[in-house]
Amino acid sequence: MAPVRLSNSLLGTFRAASIRPANAWRQKCLYHSYDYTESPPFPPAESAILSSAYNHVPSHGFTIDALKLGTRDAGYLDVSTNLFPRGAFDLVSYHLVTQRLALKDNVQFPGDGEQGKRMGVGAKALAIMAQPTYIPASLVELAKLADEIWFLAGDQSVDSSWYTKRASLSTIYSATEVFMTQDKSANFTETEQFLDSRLEDLMKIGRFMGALGEWGNYTGHSTINVLRSKGMRI
Amino acid sequence: MQASRTQLGRQLLAGSMGRVSREPYRCFSCSVRQAQQQAPPPKAPQDAQGTTHFGFQTVAEALKEQRVGAVFSSVASSYDSMNDFMSLGIHRLWKDHFVRNLNPGRNPLTSPSSGDKGWNILDIAGGTGDIAFRMLDHASTINHDAHTKVTVADINPDMLTEGKKRALQTPYARTPRLKFVEANAEKLDMIPDNSIDLYTVAFGIRNFTHKETALKEAFRVLKPGGVFACLEFSKVNNPLFDAVYQRWSFGAIPLIGQLVAGDRDSYQYLVESIARFPSQTEFRDMIQDAGFLVPGKGWEDLTNGIAAIHKGVKPA
Repeated sequence: MAPVRLSNSLLGTFRAASIRPANAWRQKCLYHSYDYTESPPFPPAESAILSSAYNHVPSHGFTIDALKLGTRDAGYLDVSTNLFPRGAFDLVSYHLVTQRLALKDNVQFPGDGEQGKRMGVGAKALAIMAQPTYIPASLVELAKLADEIWFLAGDQSVDSSWYTKRASLSTIYSATEVFMTQDKSANFTETEQFLDSRLEDLMKIGRFMGALGEWGNYTGHSTINVLRSKGMRI
Repeated sequence: MQASRTQLGRQLLAGSMGRVSREPYRCFSCSVRQAQQQAPPPKAPQDAQGTTHFGFQTVAEALKEQRVGAVFSSVASSYDSMNDFMSLGIHRLWKDHFVRNLNPGRNPLTSPSSGDKGWNILDIAGGTGDIAFRMLDHASTINHDAHTKVTVADINPDMLTEGKKRALQTPYARTPRLKFVEANAEKLDMIPDNSIDLYTVAFGIRNFTHKETALKEAFRVLKPGGVFACLEFSKVNNPLFDAVYQRWSFGAIPLIGQLVAGDRDSYQYLVESIARFPSQTEFRDMIQDAGFLVPGKGWEDLTNGIAAIHKGVKPA
C-alpha cells in the first residue's frame, strides 16, 4: 500500500510542477485537452464590438458596414473599426471561431433529433476568405475545424492517420462549402446528398487503401519467404 | 541651473561656429568627403538629466525644439520635391495607403442619420497639408461626406505657410472643413478633451522632444473609441535590405539634400533622427503605456519596415 501511495504523491508533485510551464505555452497547443480552459479567442474590446456587429450580419452581410454599426452599438465610433486591421475578414473570422467553439454544445448525434445547426458561411464570406492575404488564416481555421470535428467524433488515433483524417475531412468540408454556395434546393438537400456521397467516396478510398496495404504486406512477406525457401540469405 | 545655462550657451556657440566655418565650402567634392567622414552611429548613451537626442547629437531639451524648428524652416519650401527624391516617390504611396486604410468620413448612405455629421480629424505635424488634403479627398469622393473636418496643427509657422499656400489649390481653402493651427503637440490647450475622432501624425513624431507627453496629450483629446494613427519611419527587418537602406540613407540623402535644397545639415539630421527612432515593438509598447488598445500586433510595416503605421484606439 505504502509504495502505491508514494508513487501517487510523486505523480501529484510532478503534475503540480508540470502545470506551470504548461500554462505558458498552452495557448499554442495543437491538440485538445480537458485539463485546461481555453483562453478567449478575442480581447474583450474586440469581442464586444464583433459580437454586436455580428447581429448586423443577416441584414448587411460580412461587410465593413456591419462592423461600423457594431462599433456604434458597442459604444465606440465609426473610426474604431481601425481596431480590426483585416476589416470584414475579422468579422468572418469571428463567425468561424465562435461557430467552431460552439460546435461542442450543439453537436447532433444520431437519434438526438433532426434539427442540426447549419454552419455555412455563404458565398460572400468565402470570397473574402479566398483573398490571397487571408488564405493562410482561413486554412488555419479550416484545420482547426477539422480537428474539432474529429475530436468530437471521438477520434483517438496517434498514427499517421491523424493527418490523413484531418486532411481528407478538410477537403470534403471545403468542397461541400463551395457546393453549398450554388445550391438552390429547399433546405439544402442537394448539399446533404453531395456531402453523403463525398463521405461515401472517402470510405471507399479508405477501404481500398486498407485492402491495398494488406495485399502489399502479404505479397511482400510471401515473396521474401519464397526466396528464403530457395536458400537466399535474407 | 548655472551649469545647464553654460551648457546651453556652449551648444549654441558650437552650433553657430560650426555653421559659420562650414558655410563657404559647399561644393560637390566636399559633400562626398563629408559623407565618407560620417562617423558610424554611436551607441546610445544613457540620457543625462535634461538632455535629448538631436539626430546623433545629445542636446539640452530646451534646444531641440528650436533646432528642429530651424531644420524644418529651412526645408519647408523644397519639402515636397525633396521627399520625392529621397524616397523615390514611394512616400506618396505610403501616405495614400495610410489614408485609405483609415477610411475617413462618414458615409450618409450606409450609416444611420442620427448623431454627429462627419469626423473631427486632428492632423499633427501636418504643416504642408499632405495628409489633410488626402483625408478630405477620401471623405468627399469615397464616402460622400461633406462634413468631415481636418485641423492641421504644426509647431512650425513656415511649414504652415507652405500648407496654406497649397490649400488654395484645393476646394477646401476658406471652408470650415480645413483649419490651420500653430501648436506644440505636447501642449494642445486649444483642443478640448474628448473632442477628436482621429488623431494622425505622419513623419512627425520622431521630432518631438517628449514622445510620451505627446501620446498622453493625444489620449486626452481623443473621444472614447477615437483612433491614434502614426505613420513614421521605422526599422527594416531584413538585414541585407537594411544594409542597402542604411547606405542609401546615410550616403545619398544628405547629398541629395545638398544638391537640391542646398542644405546638407538638415537632411543629415533627418536620417539621424530616423535611425534614432524606436523600433516597431518599442513604439507599440509606448502607445500601450499611454493607455491605448492596439489592433492586432500593433503596427503594419511598409516597404519591409522602412516606414510603419502604428495605431491605437482609446478604450470606450
